[in-house]
Amino acid sequence: MASIDIAAIHKSYGIHPVLHGIDLEIKDGEFVVLVGPSGCGKSTLLRMIAGLEAVTDGEIRIDGKRVNDLAPKDRDIAMVFQSYALYPHMSVAKNMSYSLRLRKTAKEKIASVVANAATKLGLDPLMERRPKALSGGQRQRVAMGRAIVREPKAFLFDEPLSNLDARLREQMRAEIKKLHQDLGATSIYVTHDQIEAMTLADRIVAMHGGVIQQVGSPLELYDNPANLFVAGFIGSPGMNFFEGRYMATGDTANFALTGGVVLPLSGVANLADGSRATLGIRPEHVVLGAEGPDVLKATVDLVEPTGFGIIVHLKLGPVAFKAFTLDRRFLGMHGEVDVKLPVKNLHFFNEAGRKV
Amino acid sequence: MASHAAARNGGARRDQRPLKKRLADASAPYLYSAPALILIVTVMLVPLVLGISYAFRDIQLLNPMSGGFIGLDHFRTLYEDQNFYRALKNTLWWTGWSVLLQFVFGLILALLLDKPFYGRAIVQALVFLPWAVPSFLAGLNWAWLFNPVVGPIPHWLFALGLMNEPYNILSDPQLSTWGPIIANVWWGIPFFAITLLAALQAIPRDLYEAASIDGAGPVQRFISITLPFLAPTIAITVLLRTVWISNFADLIIVMTNGGPADRSQIVASYIFTQAFKRLDFGYASAIALVLLALLITYSMLIVILRQWLLSKD
Repeated sequence: MASIDIAAIHKSYGIHPVLHGIDLEIKDGEFVVLVGPSGCGKSTLLRMIAGLEAVTDGEIRIDGKRVNDLAPKDRDIAMVFQSYALYPHMSVAKNMSYSLRLRKTAKEKIASVVANAATKLGLDPLMERRPKALSGGQRQRVAMGRAIVREPKAFLFDEPLSNLDARLREQMRAEIKKLHQDLGATSIYVTHDQIEAMTLADRIVAMHGGVIQQVGSPLELYDNPANLFVAGFIGSPGMNFFEGRYMATGDTANFALTGGVVLPLSGVANLADGSRATLGIRPEHVVLGAEGPDVLKATVDLVEPTGFGIIVHLKLGPVAFKAFTLDRRFLGMHGEVDVKLPVKNLHFFNEAGRKV
Repeated sequence: MASHAAARNGGARRDQRPLKKRLADASAPYLYSAPALILIVTVMLVPLVLGISYAFRDIQLLNPMSGGFIGLDHFRTLYEDQNFYRALKNTLWWTGWSVLLQFVFGLILALLLDKPFYGRAIVQALVFLPWAVPSFLAGLNWAWLFNPVVGPIPHWLFALGLMNEPYNILSDPQLSTWGPIIANVWWGIPFFAITLLAALQAIPRDLYEAASIDGAGPVQRFISITLPFLAPTIAITVLLRTVWISNFADLIIVMTNGGPADRSQIVASYIFTQAFKRLDFGYASAIALVLLALLITYSMLIVILRQWLLSKD
């Protein structure tokens, strides 16, 4: 168990900068998820913490101790790879005990630790098999078993579920979460899947373009995204965005959408009169079949039932957006529908994309 | 086929096809495979059988009266032939050292070339060059390098104090086999380097990363990841090279001609000398037959060893 401090980390490959000054403090026992689209630098950051990539500038500390120049084997961390990286010529038991054997741990100790981990992960009947005789989910379990037998200071996960099918991914996600609750070990988890991030994390670190966009609890990021990137990345179906111009008149304001529709706002936002801005609203906050004065007429484009709810693709003038509802009345909907965008659920982003 | 079966079934229903058609149908598979079979028989079996038959006949090119069947006479001579035993010993020596050194240097080279560095592509191409040199050219070149009149190596060895005077090791009965061995090592390293490099590059990188996180240092990573992955390639290449090199007389013929006084003769070059220098084809064939038997025995041992390893796995 350990805390991990990342201070002003920079990484460049030759002249190409990849990470532009990352600062992050991870508390002992915390489960932190690095999330972002591919190429955002999240895996690079994880590999730097593991010691697999050199640090260009800045400092990484594990338990307060600078580890920049330590070899991976001296950092006492465990990592689970996307490809599992199991040793193909070793049995499951040998795979799991490899690190302990390298450390010259006593044979009886190895046997009991490995047996414990195997029971915890349900690997007991597979211990003598080779990795190639295992299914994807079983391999994933072995990779996790290999990590937990060592009782390392921290667990690093590099997109561990990406190679699994959807159902198995869901199941393994729950197992990882349960494992973390049992072991309470500091964990850093990299994924591009925002659902994994939301469900697993104590804290999410949203990254884009080598920069941290926002750090916070899953619901903080969901309810109060710091900028357009986070707002668009977190949540599925994604947040709707409307570009337009903010018009203040005294103590009330309007939002003129590109395309001509004007949306009356009951209060004022922290925007200059006449400035260009983006308005965001989550699909589940769009009210369908609304009544009252602030109602807008939208055209129904497409209705997608997901079983759990219904995603309705709508058009407001030329602008497309989505609504999500649990109400099955809207399943056969077509033509025009009255919608309402409740002001309390609106997010405003200024021209620079920052939330105001 | 169904009609054949029907015909055999007590003739309940007679085969209605005309005789010609039946003949054509029956012979079709043989006719289809005939071209390949004829080719194999003419280019492989006929020379092999002829060669084997020479071993039991007295065939000397310069003696027009020779050619008669002499039974096992050649093998009796061979049994007493000290030169043959020396050649056999030399073959082991030559094959063992050549394969070992080629393998060790080839592996080192492959490991070096596996790491990325600036200009790797050019270095790879250069390193693999010796393999492209015709063997007899390589032999000539090395013979000259060892020759104190035109080559630098004896002078270097003399300057280093390893030699009392710059002389040609190829004419030293004690050292003459080392000349062709060195040339062979130089010539054969690329083969091991190419095949081992290909095998190295097929090893997933993340296994090394996982191992280094698990706590393995460079040596442990080599032992627990690189070697197990290379093992099949090593087994196959060493086996192949052993057979090739033990049959590989070019360098010896070009550099020492088996001399001085048959001291650097291996079995293959001894066969060549018997056949094309002393023009005794019968005796040469007898030696070749013995060499063939030895190599088949060696290959069978390897096959059995392989089966045993696989079954143990």
